[in-house]
Amino acid sequence: MNPVSLYDIDSLTISPVEAPVERQFYPYADNGGTSLAIAGADYCLVASDTRQSSGYSISSRYSPKAFKLTEKAVLATNGFFADGLALTKRLGQKLEWYKHAHDKEMSTRALAQMLSNTLYYKRFFPYYVFNLLGGIDEQGRGVVYSYDPVGSYEPEMYRAGGSAASLVQPFLDNQVGLKNQQGAQRTPLPLDTAIRIAKDAFTSATERDIYTGDYLEIFVIRQEGVTTERIDLKKD
Amino acid sequence: MFLTRSEYDRGVNTFSPEGRLFQVEYAIEAIKLGSTAVGIQTSQGVVLAVEKRVTSPLLVSSSIEKIMEIDSHLGCAMSGLTADSRTMIDHARIEAQNHHFTYNEKIKVESVTQAVCDLALRFGESANGEESVMSRPFGVALLIAGIDEKGPQLFHADPSGTFMQYDAKAIGSGSEGAQTELQEEYHKSLSLQEAETLSLKVLKQVMEEKLNNTNVQLAAVTPEHGFRIYSEDELQAVIDRL
Amino acid sequence: MTTRLEQPKGGFNFDNYQRNVFLEQKGITLPKMTKTGTTIVGLIYKDGVCLGADTRATAGPIVADKNCEKIHYLAPNIHCCGAGTAADTEYTTALISSQLELHRLTTGRKSRVATALIMLKQMLFRYQGHIGAALVLGGYDINGPCLYTIHPHGSTDKLPYVTMGSGSLAAMSVFESRWRKDLERQEAIDLVKDAIESGIFNDLGSGSNVDVTVIEKDKVDVYRNYAKPNERGQKEQSYKFNRGTTAILKESIKDLVIITEGIEEMDIS
Repeated sequence: MNPVSLYDIDSLTISPVEAPVERQFYPYADNGGTSLAIAGADYCLVASDTRQSSGYSISSRYSPKAFKLTEKAVLATNGFFADGLALTKRLGQKLEWYKHAHDKEMSTRALAQMLSNTLYYKRFFPYYVFNLLGGIDEQGRGVVYSYDPVGSYEPEMYRAGGSAASLVQPFLDNQVGLKNQQGAQRTPLPLDTAIRIAKDAFTSATERDIYTGDYLEIFVIRQEGVTTERIDLKKD
Repeated sequence: MFLTRSEYDRGVNTFSPEGRLFQVEYAIEAIKLGSTAVGIQTSQGVVLAVEKRVTSPLLVSSSIEKIMEIDSHLGCAMSGLTADSRTMIDHARIEAQNHHFTYNEKIKVESVTQAVCDLALRFGESANGEESVMSRPFGVALLIAGIDEKGPQLFHADPSGTFMQYDAKAIGSGSEGAQTELQEEYHKSLSLQEAETLSLKVLKQVMEEKLNNTNVQLAAVTPEHGFRIYSEDELQAVIDRL
Repeated sequence: MTTRLEQPKGGFNFDNYQRNVFLEQKGITLPKMTKTGTTIVGLIYKDGVCLGADTRATAGPIVADKNCEKIHYLAPNIHCCGAGTAADTEYTTALISSQLELHRLTTGRKSRVATALIMLKQMLFRYQGHIGAALVLGGYDINGPCLYTIHPHGSTDKLPYVTMGSGSLAAMSVFESRWRKDLERQEAIDLVKDAIESGIFNDLGSGSNVDVTVIEKDKVDVYRNYAKPNERGQKEQSYKFNRGTTAILKESIKDLVIITEGIEEMDIS
């Protein structure tokens, strides 16, 4: 209904009003889910839940949205799953192309820049994905890069993304960034502590975010390679 | 010229029955008319040296540019039809910048050489309606020097689009003599300073004129300073060591 | 593709409604309510009525309450499950509960489920759907076991097994496959539990525990948290902070006891 014509008193003398009908197609969806990444001295941890949902329905209980891209980097995609998948596929192709052109594996730094360019290339029809790229750099140190859907990015030491990001990020700020902790000793975060923090972050996010749950997949990237662990989360 | 010279050297993309592309071979011959250029790779960096033919006392020698920068870690010396090199170096520079833009890292020496060589065979008629880029092969050879994660490297690229890596390489009119000299003098533990003097020593031997700080050009790519062309004073210091 | 714009000629004039739509389109947002995505069910079995509900309350994507009560008391023999806007379900049931109590006092009779039904539907209809309450009403009166659903606009159904809320389809799929006439008490409870759990696990708006209420002739059993299929696991580590972790921004100490030197003589005049 056109609200303006409802206020048009003159048109009460009835004449059929023909109004144009607008139909819309919305190409995006939000499939929920949460990810986090923590960079350590000689490792990087990337964790994502595996629930995929649309509206109040669960589309899949195990649909991983974090992908190993190279032996030194894992990408966690959050937001619109189809775009995350398409993006990952393109990156995989570019990675392979780079390997053939330059006869080497792409470094995590190069991958980070390339991902930014790939996202910005679609500036006016973006991939609706909030990315977290975790990996180790040329010196073997852990790095996390976080992105917005159009390619703005920055390197960080830890980051949460996705539907429960607003719940998990303050927890990481406090426990990993040691924010608001007077007199806390800043020591390198051991891997086992990082894993415990990641698990607690996800069990807690599952309690309060309806889009997070089912399974947790934790990738650990080290100089020796990438390992994966899968943990049960609540399924309600 | 070739004894087998026949009708097959007319079309730029026509093989002779013996399987040769004469125009490409002639282009390689054109290099041998050019001034001599030398490149030497050491563990401390790569040296490039070229002879400048100052054909007239009225010629401003500094206007002859035969060593050019591709990127801060890449340099290039040339011999032959140097005007052709503009296209190639433009392409190399774009490729290097593009790589840095896309990957936030310096392009490899081999990759930039490959990129230049990809251009070399884009002559003659082109396939299905594409616009032809060039009517003939390049008449110039390049010595591309640079440093990447594999260390200091020297590549030679010729008009056929072939490129090869060298410890030391000479191109141009005096290349035969120069290459023999390089082969005798080169060893793996050469220092950068020794390479500087060796390059000028080799040039001196093959040059018709007496070598001075205006008729040669010297440059180096080092991990500390990247690509750098030597000033006349620096050049004189090297000449004085000869 | 044209629509004919109907001009209002009579009846109610929802001036404020039109104004609100107008304001909304101008970019003014109206206050947001807490809606409970929910699974609520009810069924009639051989000797009575069995009601069930999950215990999750949501505010958008956030779980607002992990263990809320959605089966409300209306009368000693009547209970009512609520889905929709939390405040609306709580207030309508409480209001009708009071009115039923007064009704019992004036009539001196036990409340009938149909009475509660009429009162609820008339109230909801009066508010034209603006009270966002979707209810499952169950009880046992002189007519035996009764079960109804009431929609926010006031329409009602009388059925032997019903489900409502965002998990209603998940729950109904269980009822449709396993409900039959004259179930035994325990069979009925199990079926209700399974229907609610289907909602809990398959509908994101529902979760946590299963509440069950069983109403028979002169007997009501409220099983709060009848099943707890979603207990939270042990945390990996303790998050107890060391003493002194919280920064002190300002410190001021005031003496509340005033000590005066010397002894004053008592006034005995």
